[in-house]
Amino acid sequence: METYLNTPIKEVITKFPKIGKILGEYEIGCVPCSLGSCLLKDIIEIHNLSEEDEAVVMARIAREIYPDREIKVLKIQRKARVRTKELNYSPPIKRLVDEHVLIKRWIALIPQVLESLEVKSVEGRQFILDGVDFIRSYADKFHHAKEEEILFKYFDENLDIIKTMLMDHTAARGHAKAVAEAVEQKDKEKIAEHLNAYRELLSEHIKKEDEILYPWMDRGLSVKQVGELFSKFNEVDGTSGNGVTERCRKFVAETEEKIGKSERRFQNESI
Amino acid sequence: MSPFEGCPGSRMVDLRSQDAAEAAPTAKIASQLRQWPIQLHLISPLAPYYQGADVLLTADCVAYALGGFHNDYLKGKSIAIACPKLDQGQDVYVEKIKAWFDQAKINTLTVLIMQVPCCMGLVQLAKQALASSTRKVPLKAVVVGLQGEILSEEWI
Repeated sequence: METYLNTPIKEVITKFPKIGKILGEYEIGCVPCSLGSCLLKDIIEIHNLSEEDEAVVMARIAREIYPDREIKVLKIQRKARVRTKELNYSPPIKRLVDEHVLIKRWIALIPQVLESLEVKSVEGRQFILDGVDFIRSYADKFHHAKEEEILFKYFDENLDIIKTMLMDHTAARGHAKAVAEAVEQKDKEKIAEHLNAYRELLSEHIKKEDEILYPWMDRGLSVKQVGELFSKFNEVDGTSGNGVTERCRKFVAETEEKIGKSERRFQNESI
Repeated sequence: MSPFEGCPGSRMVDLRSQDAAEAAPTAKIASQLRQWPIQLHLISPLAPYYQGADVLLTADCVAYALGGFHNDYLKGKSIAIACPKLDQGQDVYVEKIKAWFDQAKINTLTVLIMQVPCCMGLVQLAKQALASSTRKVPLKAVVVGLQGEILSEEWI
């Protein structure tokens, strides 16, 4: 069993597909993970299962691997923490979660933006480029940079969970670049392909961060580190953040208004 | 008086039957206190040991209930103690806590209180000071049970 605890989850699930289903029952979504290199023992710690759930999950996994033997699974060592009923983010982590809200507002608009996509006029192209500017300036240079240059430095960046997040950031940059190029080429299909891919990627990415990565990080941060992070985020917000945040908030609000207006007009016309 | 009457903060509870719950450590535990005074009326919020520090604001009773107080909570931090139920002049407390945020530029404030309802007043004082300060700082509340168990630990 020790060997499997130290095996990447993708390998474990490939060999024992039912284990993926067992993890899924506890909202541990390793099956669709793009990387799957987290070790089985780390997954149990990262997801902060209760002791009771951990015992049940591990016993079921052991039965899948060794159906003919009775296996005693040792409890996975982890830091003792008080479990709270709801997610209680520390203030700096809460700020990152709040920044996700604006990003989610933009990605929620993408399907409607694509429905009325227009690249013949300068205004139509500029609208998409403004969306790319939001991705690059707010989601990436402002938000992802806080993670990459500050938050992740408090952890071992060789951990698979962090590597997965960094790969998502790189993929998101690729989609933003592809959309900008497609606007130049007036290629509607390519714009739609990469904006949709960005929407799917970021939706999953934000969910992983809000529900798994950040709570796990919060459990590992000391009070001192929380204070340091808070100050460092304040510094970023105070120097480069304000102008970017205002501009990007305005872009999202105006886009929501624009789409809301056209939807209202469509509804009125249909009546 | 029936056990269900009166203020929970001063209700009599006999915990002697719990004596054997956990063996006391045999080695001498070093104090982690690194300042004096500690009572909130007596301290200066601008004392050097508060500058940029992680500060504990602890209800008077906590250190007696919490077995691992020194190593688990006090270590590496500066401290002040107060009783939100019995202490007079609590408006001064708010000003001093505010001075920690704005002038001493503390890194974090952790408020350690007992589970009794009156103790929540100490968290309220900290929240009031934070609301009126210009500089914001992470604030954490830790609630300790009568036998030193941690009942909750939350960022506010």
